[in-house]
Formats: sequence, structure tokens, C-alpha cells
Amino acid sequence: MTEMLQFDFMRIALVMAVLIGLTAPAVGTFVVQRRLSLLGDGVGHIALTGIGLGLLTGSSPVLGALVVAVLGAVAIEVLRARSRSGADVALALLFYGGLAGGVILTNAQGGGSSLQSYLFGSISSVSASDLYVVAALAVVVLGIVAVFGRELFLLCQDEEVARAAGLPVRFLSVLIAVTAAVTVVIAMRAIGLLLVSALMIVPVAAAQQVTRGFRSTMLLAMGAGVLSAVSGLAASFEYDLPPGPSIVLLALALFLAAAAGGTVVRRRRARRAGEVVPGPAGPGERPRVDAEAEVISG
Amino acid sequence: MTDGVPATDRAGAPPFAMTGGVVRRDGREVLSGVDLRVGAGDVLAILGPNGAGKSTLVKALLGLVPLAAGRTEIYGEPPARFRGWRRVGYVPQRLPMGGGVPSTVREVVASGRIARRSRWLPALVTDRAADRAAVDRALEAVGLAGRARDSAHLLSGGQQQRVLIARALAGEPDVFVMDEPTAGVDAASQAALAATLRGLADAGRTVVLVAHELGPLEPLITRTVELEHGRVARESARDMTGRMTGSTAGSAAGSAA
Repeated sequence: MTEMLQFDFMRIALVMAVLIGLTAPAVGTFVVQRRLSLLGDGVGHIALTGIGLGLLTGSSPVLGALVVAVLGAVAIEVLRARSRSGADVALALLFYGGLAGGVILTNAQGGGSSLQSYLFGSISSVSASDLYVVAALAVVVLGIVAVFGRELFLLCQDEEVARAAGLPVRFLSVLIAVTAAVTVVIAMRAIGLLLVSALMIVPVAAAQQVTRGFRSTMLLAMGAGVLSAVSGLAASFEYDLPPGPSIVLLALALFLAAAAGGTVVRRRRARRAGEVVPGPAGPGERPRVDAEAEVISG
Repeated sequence: MTDGVPATDRAGAPPFAMTGGVVRRDGREVLSGVDLRVGAGDVLAILGPNGAGKSTLVKALLGLVPLAAGRTEIYGEPPARFRGWRRVGYVPQRLPMGGGVPSTVREVVASGRIARRSRWLPALVTDRAADRAAVDRALEAVGLAGRARDSAHLLSGGQQQRVLIARALAGEPDVFVMDEPTAGVDAASQAALAATLRGLADAGRTVVLVAHELGPLEPLITRTVELEHGRVARESARDMTGRMTGSTAGSAAGSAA
């Protein structure tokens, strides 16, 4: 660990890993609850075209990826909201078009090897200016989660109830898609576009094995995200492995551990709940309800 | 149902007023010209067999399902222009599972306060206290105060229904719209629901609920509307003596059994 801190690029990469580990699962919690687990994957495919465009025009690939990923996310959301049946195929067309377009564009640039690093992540290529961009984007993403969290929670819980509460459902839907797209761009340098959405989904899947609430799931997922990102990066440095796959495999290991642990926790909880299952606790029976509260908190 | 009161009178506009409401889904008419006016303080039950369009009707009243013809208003405004959503509490049929991220009972119920909060202004300490107090009251009203920290999805169907009702209660609205609150609900939860509803009726709240059968709710209902094939087949209202007296709608008389 101390050895890898001697390298500038590793210090930068570690800060980046922490930022990615925090943001991806935070957004991922909403994305999973909304059943959009493949959204990040699709945006990742589309973002590749942005990288190709960035390389081709000589501007920043990260900027290109950001612009195209955000546009792609808006397109996905529009397609999803518009039609129930045709959206599936339309999304597939968009994804494959983005991937194929990206490969052709980067190839035209003679960037075959850099393509590999964008697809599966690479840490040695990360510069300090990349880090500043990623840090700024991470602040934006976490800010959105903080400001809109309550509304996004209700939206992901039940869209009709959200609408009947007067929430701007269309705006919030686009917001969550765009936030996911920005997160993909944040994470793509370290993890790679093809695996980026794994860090949005897998830590959440792990956390929800052992938690009871939405907020606790999100916080635990963020912890799991940081843990797997940092340790995956360390492993990739130590054993000369690609960082993206190392991070994702560690996140999956956490998921397996949580799934095993969760089974035990749930069984114990179910047994306890069996003892305290409230009977007909109507509003007229307050003393009894209070007694229950004591049993549960005690 | 034209009783001479102008629907555009916003100050005294009723919670819901639908005229000639038509809803089509996949080319089929689910609602075929429904006139319905819900007055403040009504406790209205929408009855009818499966597929009669009961749920569609309440969703159309809220603007969740678009009308193919006719018009509907919430407190005198079409749903798209209505801004007073904090006056409305919608209780859906069930708590959707979504992608499986758990939520505690308290988290679900607290989300009922959203219509009351500004997104941009940070919540004041007093706001937070008011939110907490309202959520506590709602949880106690449905008898789930002891389950606040449990995962809502692990509760029984009847308890989940009570969580959804508590979410609407927490928002302290004037009108409650409940889609089948009694479907598949155990006796204990039915009793809790009846007690909650009695409290709402006594407080002068307006309630529109969809039901298959009324059971213990029957004495609380002041009006019923019975749907058949997307039309109002029968209506009844409680008269001065407390008895329900009904009429069969002329247009649907042919299809009435």
C-alpha cells in the first residue's frame, strides 16, 4: 500500500477510486429501484461514440463522452416514456449503434490501444486534470442526490403516487437518467465503459441483502463501493491486473458475502418478528402499540 | 348529474368533477362517458365487478390516466394545471416492489410529506419537527407505530395497505383517494382501516374509495356509485334517516341485471 502511494498516478487514481466508489452506488440505488439496471450499461455503450468524437476532433475524450452520454440518456428516457412496447428494440439499436460507432471512430484515429483502456479502464493514463473533472462531476452528482433525494425516492417507489403528489415526474426521470450518464463518465477512466454500470448495481445488490431501509442501503452501498474500488485498484497495482475487472470482481465477492450473511440475518429477524407480530392494533389501542415499540427497540 | 352549479366557480369548486369522461386503452373503452361530482365531505365508494373501470375512474379523476373525451377537474382546475396537490392524498392498490431496494415503513410514510415541502428551501428545524410529528401520528393512526423501522416489503399485505394509507395521512390532505384499500386485507387491518376512515369522516375530510365489497366500512359511506362496463349503473346516497336510497342510471338500465 505504501509502495503504491509513492507514485503520483496512483495517488490520483486512489482519490478517483474513492470518488467513484461513493457516486456510482449512490446513483445506482435509485437506478436499481427504478428497474433501470441496464441503463448504465447502455449509456456506457453510447459514450464510446463520444470518446471517438473527442479523439477525432482533437478535443477532450472525457468531454466528448460526457456530451454524448448525456444526450444518449435523455434519448433513452424519452424512448422509455413514449412507448411501452417498441422502446426495447429502440434502446438496443441505440446501444449497438453507440458501441459500433465508437469503435470505428477510435480506429479511424489509430487509437486501437486506447480503445482497450476506455473499454476496460486504465489507471496509468489518468492525469491530474482528469481528476479535477471527475471531482467536479462527483460533487454535482452527490449534490443532485442530496437536493432531489426525497423526490427521487418517491419517483422510484411509485411513479403514479409521485405524480399525484405534484412532483415534476418527467423532469425527475430525465434528471436520474442524466445523473446516471454523468456517473458513467466519472467512472469510465478507472473501470472502463463496459463494466462501469457494475459499480452502480453490484454494491447496491450487496447492501440490500442486509439492510431494511432505503437510506441505509444507499450508505452501505457507498461504503461497499469505496471498499471495492480502492482494494480493486490496489490489487491491480500489486498484481498488474486491469483495474476495472479487479474492482468488479471484488464488488461481486462482497455481494456473495452479503447474500450469505443476509440469509442468516433475515432468518433471525423473521424469527424475532414472529414473536412480536402485532395483533389487531387499531388506533384505539395505543398502550399496546407503545408496548410493541418497546419490544422492538429493546 | 348536471345540478346547475357552475363548475368554473373555483372558490367553491368541488374536489372532483368529471363530465362525460371517456378513457380508451388499446382501442377499447374502459370508461364510456362517466359523470361524477364529488362534494367536499363526501365519503364515496365506487363499487362494481372486476374490469368495470373502478381503478381507471379514480386514476382519471387524478389525471393519472388521460381522458380521450370529456373533462375532469380537481378543485376547479384540470389535472394538468392543478397545483394544490398537497390537498390530495392518493393511496394506490399496492406497494410496488420495484427493483427490490428495501424501504423502512417510516421512509415510505415520510414520503407522504413531500407535497408539503419546498425543494429549494432547506427545511427549518420546525418543519422537520412538524414532519416527524405528522409521520408519528399517521403511523399511530394505522397501528404501525411499532413497525416504523421494519422493512415495508416484509409486512403482510394488510399491513402494507396500512403503510400506504399512513403515507397519505402524513400529508394531511383534504381529499383521500383510495384504490381498493380493503382488497386482500386481514380482519385486523380492515378494522384499523374502518377506524381511520371514521376519524377522517368525522373531521370532514372527503374520501373516494374503490371497493369490491364494503364490509365493515359500510356504515361510514355516505354515497355509492356502481360501475358496470365503464358506465355508472347505479348511484345511492344516505338520506336524512341514514338509509341508503339509490337510483339506477337511465343510460345503463339495459345492462343492469
